[in-house]
Amino acid sequence: MFKPWLNYLSGFIILSLIFSCINDISKINNEKVLIKKALDIHNRVLTLDTHADTPIRMIQPDFDLSERHDPYETGSKLDYPRMIEGGLDAVFFAAFVAQDIRDDDGHNRAKNLCLQMIDSVITSTKRNSDIVGLALNPEDAYSLEKEGKRAIYIGIENGYPIGNDLSNISLYYKKGVRYITLVHSSNNDLADSSTDSNGPEHEGLSDFGNEVVQEMNRLGIMVDVSHGSDSLFYETIKLSKAPIIASHSNARKVTNHERNMTDEMLKLMAKNGGVVQLTMLSNYLREVPPNIKKDSAIAALRSSMKPVAEMTEEEQKEARESIKKLNDKFPAPLANVKNVVDHIDHIVNVAGIDHVGIGCDFDGGGGIEGVFDASEIMNITIELVRRGYSEDQIEKIWGGNLIRVFKEVQAIAKKIQTEEV
Amino acid sequence: MIVCRLLLLIIFLYTNIKTNVHPLKLSLCEIEYSSEKKLLSVNLKLFLTDVNEAIVFDPYSKDLAFCQTNESKDANRLLLNYLNQFFYIKVNSKILELEIKDKNLKGEGDNTALWLYFEYIQTSPLQSLEIKNAVFTDLFFDQNNIVYIHIDEKSKSLMLDKKKSIHQLRF
Repeated sequence: MFKPWLNYLSGFIILSLIFSCINDISKINNEKVLIKKALDIHNRVLTLDTHADTPIRMIQPDFDLSERHDPYETGSKLDYPRMIEGGLDAVFFAAFVAQDIRDDDGHNRAKNLCLQMIDSVITSTKRNSDIVGLALNPEDAYSLEKEGKRAIYIGIENGYPIGNDLSNISLYYKKGVRYITLVHSSNNDLADSSTDSNGPEHEGLSDFGNEVVQEMNRLGIMVDVSHGSDSLFYETIKLSKAPIIASHSNARKVTNHERNMTDEMLKLMAKNGGVVQLTMLSNYLREVPPNIKKDSAIAALRSSMKPVAEMTEEEQKEARESIKKLNDKFPAPLANVKNVVDHIDHIVNVAGIDHVGIGCDFDGGGGIEGVFDASEIMNITIELVRRGYSEDQIEKIWGGNLIRVFKEVQAIAKKIQTEEV
Repeated sequence: MIVCRLLLLIIFLYTNIKTNVHPLKLSLCEIEYSSEKKLLSVNLKLFLTDVNEAIVFDPYSKDLAFCQTNESKDANRLLLNYLNQFFYIKVNSKILELEIKDKNLKGEGDNTALWLYFEYIQTSPLQSLEIKNAVFTDLFFDQNNIVYIHIDEKSKSLMLDKKKSIHQLRF
């Protein structure tokens, strides 16, 4: 018996499937077009990362930046081959010295260690002069890019190696240092940290810290307020004759962490003409989500163990191996590229497109899902294009803004030096 | 038994949801030698969460209570048992026995660090110094162990990790 409705229904199902396939194909094609557009932009603009703690890796015996390293083997996140793979044109290598005793001995040692790291960066750029070059001025990033080389700038993370001697700043400048982060995770003789468990000591900057900022202005070294307390930020921005930078900090309104910057600070950054460089540290990018599967698996394992004091060494070793297997099986969830661009969106809304940049903090804890190491940085550009950022805007975010500040810092230094004569 | 395990699980989940282990897997070791004082000292700074995870398999365990009035009688023994497997300093080809001279806690929360101090009389001149520092590399693939060495006026820094955990200096 003829059933016309059955034919209509079959036709409807077939047509729906065809439309659904066309829709899927169209989505895939759109995604391909978007990715191609993003990668083209990524290739055209100068990509500059203002913060990598790679000098600390360079003190590792036999570590060679010209070799490609596996980030999952030892945690290394940046080397020259991966800069090339990721299309990273320029980077600031930050020589980091951990805060220690604040006396003459401590300061001398910090200075020696800092110089060792700076020298190892310089040596590495000389050894690999076919693919990288030491960059000292803002224009160097562009000229090296034209030569097909990556630009390596030098910064110092933590003003501790300055000690109490202002002349050290000039020494570091002559070595090639172009920014100094005033403080790290503990207070030093210059300034207060945002994370010192003893609280503030100088209510921002010390008297010596004041002199340091002025000397950095005079020489043309960018003043970096990342890691500093809120008071340090307000004092520095008021004191500095040149725009300041936050080489690796995020927005506190998006992720409530003391290392991040409030909206009021972001607005002041805009007024100052400075720039906030977004960092890829998961805990500064989003609230830490629970890792329930891992936690419950470890809890179950632990409840089956006998007391540690009663274990043999072999049993302890086995227990540690079991814990490691669970750590590997259920890694801590990382932030992702969407979190990064959420912060960029917020800073753009509050401070404007001219005051945001990128400082990944590779080799210092940075590395997220999608941008785990330097070879994956193009994924930031893809997400920026997805959210409608234009090439001009992406050019500013990826380096234009920082270079503008850098130029201004140098121009102001020149003016100060001319006035001195 | 099941109820007990369930209770443990609930307590564990509660404490862990609120916490957040430091993102950078790092330890710091400072070795200092003064030929004038004929003294070699070692300061080892370890994150307490890592110490607890390595020894009692729980980063937030209070069982060992390092540097507290209720410190466990097993704390030092368990700590040294662990360190002896992953850390040594060889002076002139001889391994120094690890005996804790002093220890204290610094910092707060996840940034709390356990500082260990070792001290040795070194009368003969320093000809070689070999350092092994593989602490916590058995737990974390990305553990970095920084070593600062100060021999009289000269300083050198090193970073050791899972792949390269031993380094020797000759004088």
